[in-house]
Amino acid sequence: MENKTKKNHTWIGVDQLNKGAEFQEAVEREFQDVPLADNVEKLATNRRDFLKYLGFSLGAATVAASCDIPVKRAIPYVVKPDEIVPGVATYYASSFVNGGDYCAVLVKTREGRPIKIEGNSLSSVTGGGTSARAQAVVLSLYDTNRFPGPGKMENGRFTQTSWAEVDKAVKGSLSANSRVAILTSTVLSPTAKKVLEEFKAAYPDTKVVTYDPVSASALLQANEECFGQRVVPNYRFDRADVIVSFAADFLGTWISPVEYARQYAANRKIEDVHKAKMSRHYQVEAAMTLTGSNADHRVLVKPSEQGAAIAALYNEIARKAGKPTVSAPRVNDKAAALLKQAAEDLWANRGKSLVVCGTNNKGEQVLVNAINDMLGNYGQTISFANPSLQRQGNDPDVQQLIKDMNSGSVDAVFVWGANPAYELPNAEAFAEAFKKVKLKVSFSGMPNETTALCDYVAPTHHLLESWGDAEPKRGMYSLIQPTIAPLFDTRQAEETLLRWAESPNLNIEAEQPYYEYLKAAWERDMFPRQTKYATFQNFWDMSLHDGVFELEEQEPSVAFAGDVQAAAAKITKPANSELEIQFVETVHIGNGQYTDNPWLMEMPDPINRCVWDNYLMVPVVFDGHRHFDCDGPFAGFNQEEFYGYADQAEIEIAGRKAVVPVVRQFGQMRGTVGLALGYGRTVAGKAGVNVGVNANPWLTIDADGNTQYFNTDVKVLGKAGKYEMASVQYHHTMGVTGKLEGSDEVINVDEQAVTTIKEGYQGALVDRTIIRRANLPELDKFVEELKEERREAEHLNQQTLYPYEEYKEKYYSQGHHWGMHIDLNACIGCGACEVACMAENNVPVVGKYEVFRHHEMTWLRIDRYFYGDYENPNVVYQPMMCQHCDNAPCENVCPVSATNHSSEGLNQMAYNRCIGTRYCANNCPYKVRRFNWLDYTTADLFPINENEVNGEAIYADNLVRMVLNPDVTVRERGVMEKCSFCVQRIQEGKLTAKREGRKLEDHDVKTACQTACPTGAITFGDTNNEKSAVRKQYESELNYIVLEEIGVRPSVQYKARVTNKVEELG
Amino acid sequence: MSQPVSPIREPLITGHKTYHDITEDLVSPTEKTTVSWALATMAAALMLGYGVFCLIWTFWVGIGSWNVNRTIGWGYDITNFVWWIGIGHAGTLISAILLLFRQKWRTGVNRAAEAMTIFAVMCAGLFPATHTGRPWFDFFMFPYPNTRGPLWVNFNSPLLWDLFAISTYFTVSLLFWYTGLVPDLATVRDRAKGLRRKIYAFFAMGWTGSAKHWQRFESLSLILAGLATPLVLSVHTIVSYDFATSVLPGWHTTIFPPYFVAGAIFSGFAMVQTLMTITRKLLKLEDYITIAHIESMNKVILLTGWIVGTAYLTELFIAWYSGYIYEMFAFYNRVFGPYYWAYIGMMGCNVLSPNIFWVKKFRRNVTITFFMSIFVNIGMWFERFVIIVTTLARDYLPSSWSYYWPSWVEIGIYLGTFGLFFTLYLIFVKVAPVVAVAEVKAILKTAGDQYVGVEAAKKAEATAH
Repeated sequence: MENKTKKNHTWIGVDQLNKGAEFQEAVEREFQDVPLADNVEKLATNRRDFLKYLGFSLGAATVAASCDIPVKRAIPYVVKPDEIVPGVATYYASSFVNGGDYCAVLVKTREGRPIKIEGNSLSSVTGGGTSARAQAVVLSLYDTNRFPGPGKMENGRFTQTSWAEVDKAVKGSLSANSRVAILTSTVLSPTAKKVLEEFKAAYPDTKVVTYDPVSASALLQANEECFGQRVVPNYRFDRADVIVSFAADFLGTWISPVEYARQYAANRKIEDVHKAKMSRHYQVEAAMTLTGSNADHRVLVKPSEQGAAIAALYNEIARKAGKPTVSAPRVNDKAAALLKQAAEDLWANRGKSLVVCGTNNKGEQVLVNAINDMLGNYGQTISFANPSLQRQGNDPDVQQLIKDMNSGSVDAVFVWGANPAYELPNAEAFAEAFKKVKLKVSFSGMPNETTALCDYVAPTHHLLESWGDAEPKRGMYSLIQPTIAPLFDTRQAEETLLRWAESPNLNIEAEQPYYEYLKAAWERDMFPRQTKYATFQNFWDMSLHDGVFELEEQEPSVAFAGDVQAAAAKITKPANSELEIQFVETVHIGNGQYTDNPWLMEMPDPINRCVWDNYLMVPVVFDGHRHFDCDGPFAGFNQEEFYGYADQAEIEIAGRKAVVPVVRQFGQMRGTVGLALGYGRTVAGKAGVNVGVNANPWLTIDADGNTQYFNTDVKVLGKAGKYEMASVQYHHTMGVTGKLEGSDEVINVDEQAVTTIKEGYQGALVDRTIIRRANLPELDKFVEELKEERREAEHLNQQTLYPYEEYKEKYYSQGHHWGMHIDLNACIGCGACEVACMAENNVPVVGKYEVFRHHEMTWLRIDRYFYGDYENPNVVYQPMMCQHCDNAPCENVCPVSATNHSSEGLNQMAYNRCIGTRYCANNCPYKVRRFNWLDYTTADLFPINENEVNGEAIYADNLVRMVLNPDVTVRERGVMEKCSFCVQRIQEGKLTAKREGRKLEDHDVKTACQTACPTGAITFGDTNNEKSAVRKQYESELNYIVLEEIGVRPSVQYKARVTNKVEELG
Repeated sequence: MSQPVSPIREPLITGHKTYHDITEDLVSPTEKTTVSWALATMAAALMLGYGVFCLIWTFWVGIGSWNVNRTIGWGYDITNFVWWIGIGHAGTLISAILLLFRQKWRTGVNRAAEAMTIFAVMCAGLFPATHTGRPWFDFFMFPYPNTRGPLWVNFNSPLLWDLFAISTYFTVSLLFWYTGLVPDLATVRDRAKGLRRKIYAFFAMGWTGSAKHWQRFESLSLILAGLATPLVLSVHTIVSYDFATSVLPGWHTTIFPPYFVAGAIFSGFAMVQTLMTITRKLLKLEDYITIAHIESMNKVILLTGWIVGTAYLTELFIAWYSGYIYEMFAFYNRVFGPYYWAYIGMMGCNVLSPNIFWVKKFRRNVTITFFMSIFVNIGMWFERFVIIVTTLARDYLPSSWSYYWPSWVEIGIYLGTFGLFFTLYLIFVKVAPVVAVAEVKAILKTAGDQYVGVEAAKKAEATAH
């Protein structure tokens, strides 16, 4: 061996050849650790190298330093407040109050900034539900258009001054016998009412004039006449098996929609298919409201026919009750037939029925009270225990004030929470009269048409900066507490009034004078009324913690004392005009109180799905073959709606002309049109200025001085050009039907028209597995069919190369698997979830033009589909968001794996990885993915390419950015985004459970849409947890999966829509 | 004339050309600059410039400067991408498959067709690269080793397959084209002087025309042809996967690969026709790109047009036969929906109009051929538009239906690709022989009109007598 080795010996160096001892040692050691220092001398940098390195680093540093990177300072607390833990949200119970709009809420704050509104489930009024208006209030806090402090107004121009100066000026022009008018919208706060009393004590000649932006004045007057109580009674929709509503949009806007929606849904949800029971709802109206769209039957009457319709129902019931009938004009035949059926239903359900009326005519309201009285509903479904105080305005008062101002008998007017120069039907007359008043002050925090006319602005705090209380229903109190220090130099209006009244009860030396005042008031008035807490401090702390303090009232006995015959004489008489217009309050922006809020402006109208505008809603007619057109004078309008263009109509109402864009509206009665209130503001925050048409000047005032929300003098002058229609959904239906021309055959118009080039109605084939609906009597049959169809779909889905069952067993059944359930029967389409989602997930607002281009960013949308008779269809709403498919088509097409599946069944987006090919969005069958087309959030590299919303790059301002949820990434231009199932909340819930060392439970994780929903239509949870609510919901036989047969395995289940129609009525 | 002369076979080179004539005719355009060339190049460059401006605008403002929307995520971008890729099919088909089939007529048009392929693929590649929301991160598409985990690309995604397919196709086509150019570049070099000579010498890679060179050249050509042949089929097959692997009715069909490939050849040949009819006129190459060439290509157009037409009809039949409501509606919508005009355009241009080529007279008419080639490309553009936009516009959920129309930026970028294409093509005709000199010479003795065809036969007869 030795020899052989030697023979073939090769060597690398002399050392190896010689095999000296040193070499042997080196071989043995293998890894030599020669100290580097030994060689330092050789490596030492010489002078030239040193100069080279120096030169390079200097050059590099210079180049790097020339890039100007702005310094952002984060200043830590010197003494950290106990309640603020960075990264942990703090919730404060408070109330959302704007005039008569009320909602008990929890305000979520992060690092001292309110960023989100949640419902307060301790409130028995709203029960944890919210509305879109309540959800959006956080954005209005950070509105850059707010007044920075008190100021003097000259010719509508604002000059900031100091509070001392304003106080001096106001007090200087007031004397003890000054005739002061305080003009307010509904004041819900009992303490604020005391403030007004104190002010009255100081200035005895003070009148408080209250009106509501959308009035319920006649309702209050009628109840005063009939029952001696000027209140809105306590309606109990949950106890009513038959509901008849005359133009009362109680689910959307009327009095207390969050409360009513919860009650309404409670009696509409179907828990057990085989013992299904639900209320039947008739809605009598001309323009489709949110409530009407949810009704089982809509009874179409013209606005001027409402009185006749009410009288017709009254007479039907009176005949059954053996009471004298009233003489009244006849209502149209179709309506009469339906009302007859309604009367049958009502009579059969005496004491379990409810008739409500939203018209502002005292006679009509008295008749409705009489109907309810004959039906024995008082004490059952209507009660005067804890009646609602959410509308307190009296229209004649404000008309009287205008007269008084004109006659010079008013020295000073303080406007508080109202905008009469815009909201009143005779706003111009108001403005004229207002100018004659010597001292005019507004407490508004935002510029509006009225502040422009004032002498001084004494801006009050934003709601979220205020102390206060509210009494939405008698005996039901709730508190308002500040969640952030005032952002501007504002002062609460109550405090301002007390200072001007020089109230001895206000300690102006205190840090928060009004807080002390409020607390004292509660100690004096509220504390003695309860027995639970022994000390006031205890009581106060708990009330503040809970946000509510409620006292149940005993059911009082009431007797109807209305004069029915006199009332019948007062009802509206049907007009003979060819065209009538109904003015409707929208769910989102009211009568202009919310037009400053971009979230609400961008929330699509639930019915016509348009944003950032009020469109003239025009009825559609069907040619009996395959073509839809607009009715009557609008024939030929909006033929290009599905290309994104509307036609503008020039209309003349009561001599006043305007140009309005038109939208075709199914369910709008022929011979009528509808138009939303609240648009066309001329002085407002940037988002609201010059958007749409102001409808208020067209309102009329009836003999009682009440504002009427319709006009019968409407002329159409013609087309006035094309309009870029900012609509998120055109009028594709789920199968509307109509009669075939020349026969009685009822055809499905969508199917009929599908093969018509261009001119045809652009409908869909209707057997789409998207919406499942049934009528109550045939529910069992429906369930069987649904089962069969789902079996078939599952069979198809099994035909796959990929072992889904195996994945399911191996992955999806392990740990958590998040799922959602949506009850379409409980969803009323109110849109609270849409706004909540925008707030929670930093979803940007894109503006009118971008929505026109279908660039809206909403992660959650509520699809609206019509079905049934084209003239009077039913509507189904479908909240649609990412379905988190377990076999997601979006995931496998992403070239960079930016969207992928979590082990918990979530379809995730890694924004940083996304390059924006948009393939995922194309391949999404539900079209829920949203792409950042432009720099919507001011989050990208380029400094001057932000998208402007009504002339304002809103997110470019640091104040507005304070509303952003720090838990959710703000997405850059060019990346895809979509619903994440509120993954930040899931993560937080998991951490909470982990920290507490227990299993995760339902209450740990609730999505933003779920908590916002007033009716509890949305359930979210872990489908692998057998005890979870969502698992329980998954058991219903009415459940289905949208597009189940395409095998994408969504994690969202829907519960079919069920109506309770009288079949013969169709 | 010792060899037999076929009176039936049509000559592919006319005008009794000698080898020297061929060199003169084909190389001389590279040696002089004409006013018309300069004007055309300037116009093309201007269009290119406008396209570049529109691209910069897109990068600065965002994809929001295009009119694509939440429902229709791809519009002009991918329509144009697929269209250009389709056009890029003819070159390799002519060079590779026709080479393997020993089709001699390919020699007249292969060079230009290959160049067209390369430029068309460049135009096509521009769209996927720039249609992304954040094009500066396009490199995420490449599976390069990284420190993010490492985070790999998603090999399931057809877009990734596209990337590989197209880059491979581009590389092979470029090699093929350049290989073919080498002997001709040497010819140009031999005629050139000064710096020009040096440049051509560099690119000719020392070609001397020795037998060994020719032998290697032939083998390399064959190898590349072998490589390129499957690519012709695979590239558009994979492009069609972008649609076929999706879940959308109208996209999710197994017919797409052959249908796309046939369509690509269809449009590619049409584009070759467009270019060749112009080029032969302007560069006076009627003797090399003869009516026989044009007729051959028209036959291919007629065939592929019918394949495509059959595919359209099959789609309609299957949609009806499936009984599946979404599938049925997708096709109702194609025909009767808001984009009915695109469907009419597609059917009219692609299925109806090529039937004119059943008539020999029309097949051999240059003017008709020119207009037909434009028609076919319009039709093929509509086909892509129909598949992409019409399908996306109305899919499953009626709530999300939408309409799309390009913005000025999108139109600008499309025009810009024409600018790019023609700029490159015009530079190409200026720097290299637009007809393969060596290959034409190679067939002169078997396809020149002094050797084959009626005249030559008569002549041969006369000499024999």
